[in-house]
Amino acid sequence: MILRRVIAELRAMPKFIYVLAAIAAFGIGVGLYRMAVGLGPTTNLTDESPWGIWISFDLATVALSGGAFTLAALVYVFQFDSLHAAVRPTVLAGLLGYSSVLVILLFDLGRWDRFYNVFLHPNFSSALLEVSWCIAAYSTILIYEFSPVLLQNSRLKWLLPTIKKYLIPLVIVGVTLSTMHQSSLGTLFVIMSPRVHPLWYSMLLPVFFLVSSLAAGISMVIAGATVSYWLFGRSLKIKTLSQLSWFLPWILGFYLVLKFGELIIANELDLLTEGGRYTALFWTELIIGAAIPIMLFAMKQVRTSRAASLFGASLVLGGVILNRFDVTWFGMKASGASYTPHWMEVALLVGVLSGVVLVYSLIARYFPVYEETYAVERAAKAAPAPALDGARPAEA
Amino acid sequence: MAHEITAPHYGFLIDASLCIDCRTCMVSCSVENNVSMDTTRIWIEETGVTGTFPDLKRYTVPYHCMHCVDPSCASACTVGALHRNEEGIVTYDKDICIGCRYCMYACPFEVPNYEWEATLPLVVKCDMCAARLDEGQQPACATTCPTGAIRFGLYEDMLAEAHRMINENPGKYVNHVYGEEENGGTATLYISPVPFEELGFPIAGTSSPAYSNRLVTEGTPLVAGAMLVGLSGAYLTIKHLKEEAAAERREAEHAHAGEDHE
Ligand code: SF4
Ligand code: SF4
Ligand code: SF4
Repeated sequence: MILRRVIAELRAMPKFIYVLAAIAAFGIGVGLYRMAVGLGPTTNLTDESPWGIWISFDLATVALSGGAFTLAALVYVFQFDSLHAAVRPTVLAGLLGYSSVLVILLFDLGRWDRFYNVFLHPNFSSALLEVSWCIAAYSTILIYEFSPVLLQNSRLKWLLPTIKKYLIPLVIVGVTLSTMHQSSLGTLFVIMSPRVHPLWYSMLLPVFFLVSSLAAGISMVIAGATVSYWLFGRSLKIKTLSQLSWFLPWILGFYLVLKFGELIIANELDLLTEGGRYTALFWTELIIGAAIPIMLFAMKQVRTSRAASLFGASLVLGGVILNRFDVTWFGMKASGASYTPHWMEVALLVGVLSGVVLVYSLIARYFPVYEETYAVERAAKAAPAPALDGARPAEA
Repeated sequence: MAHEITAPHYGFLIDASLCIDCRTCMVSCSVENNVSMDTTRIWIEETGVTGTFPDLKRYTVPYHCMHCVDPSCASACTVGALHRNEEGIVTYDKDICIGCRYCMYACPFEVPNYEWEATLPLVVKCDMCAARLDEGQQPACATTCPTGAIRFGLYEDMLAEAHRMINENPGKYVNHVYGEEENGGTATLYISPVPFEELGFPIAGTSSPAYSNRLVTEGTPLVAGAMLVGLSGAYLTIKHLKEEAAAERREAEHAHAGEDHE
């Protein structure tokens, strides 16, 4: 009986679900093989380049998952109620982003068998410790933030009011934790002054990482909303999106000022015209990821068009991803050795990514990720408060 | 948190002019620590062949952990597996290392290596033969070096000896004791007849990046605390403003409704 229902469900699944599942299974298989034989035969990591594409991926993914805390801060702390509809899909995307980072990290650790030493033997001057504690704590909070969506149609529904009650304090802790780990990921490289190319090296790296993660987070919400509009026909109002994208030129402008300001103060402006691959990478990052998007999102026509917003947001995302790859890989002066990933490193990455998209699609299929009305919210809205920014609370 | 930096107790003095590339130090390190020859904790840096025939020259020098007075590796290590002890030896605790390999990028001398071929690998790093020192013996590499290129003793003696060698042999060595100031000072000191860059030594600054690292990481809890307070304040203020606005609006509506009745 149950079996027959499951089979019927499986039959009804769209084809791409099976493709994703196959890729994910292959990737995880490669990962298990890596666990069995070690890093030597399965990666191209060496003593000169001990970190590879996995770390670059982790850093880029965390930056892109920044949407969850940006939005949580805007909606719950600063109470821009009109953005509320974006919270669920963004929190889910963030949650899955962080999960994929944790999975990849586990495969990356040489001694994954004792990862728990991170908690048993903390070294508080280590930026990597800060990052791992914050990510672990923050993922838990994301699960909490998302749990109402999973619980609302279940027998545990009665938990919802309790969850709601502690939501705000936890969101505030979550936003703080995110700020900490987004910046700590930059701090990781502060100790590597002899290694990271001076175009990227700075004591301000934590600030650079934090500011760019805000831009990446907002762009991720815009891109996600637009894609889901086309795929599922369900999405955010374009007005909501344009409210969000209005922030982008300011954040990116601030980022550019910081970046160039730092180069001026460090007296490194000559590096900008030096030529060669570092200069090229640096300019590509800032022109594609910041300068062009600033011009685009400064225009109202762009902010109110789904296609144009998606284009602009993709540029920002591309720029931020390139930045994380530059800091962790392309701009790292490993003495001599040049690293290119082993195919198994790539296979594991692609597998984990497919797994994430798979889980996202399944949750979006079975749970009310894109619905906005559920019992608790309605109860909370019994006495509606008018929004500060003039938007009607009914939209929230 | 003040970070105390003390002078090392022991020191190495390595003389590049005496190394003959026999690799005995590597063999003894491999035997002493029971590791294969690919993962010895000491290896040979060299200049490559220089000069024109028949005046060809090639300098080599053994290279291992510098035992920094403010080690970046220890500052970076997630779990504190790397640690500088009271004698100034930077030790590695193989039982708690999680293999994140952060130390490998953090060390400005690119010292820590990794057992890439092992299923459950460990970091490869010289521990000054701490176990031998406990038994009153010298480190294996220093004992076995046939030319005396690797000397070991009290740090002060090694430092004085380095300067004496340079001063008493004019023209033989470049006038630089590598390790005296590099990365804030290290227990391993080098003298060499050729500039250290030619031997492939990194040009390290005079202060350890561990210092910048501590500046940032130790400031973090403060920033976090400030953020918690700031965000809570912002939340409560905005909530209050909104409620006031709502109350005002209700009152206005009420008054309005009242007017209608009249
Ligand atoms: S040389 Fe490198 S590994 Fe050795 S103590 Fe200094 S930072 Fe640590
Ligand atoms: S690899 Fe081991 S010793 Fe090195 S930083 Fe990580 S936990 Fe510490
Ligand atoms: S002191 Fe001991 S561990 Fe270090 S390089 Fe010499 S033999 Fe190896």
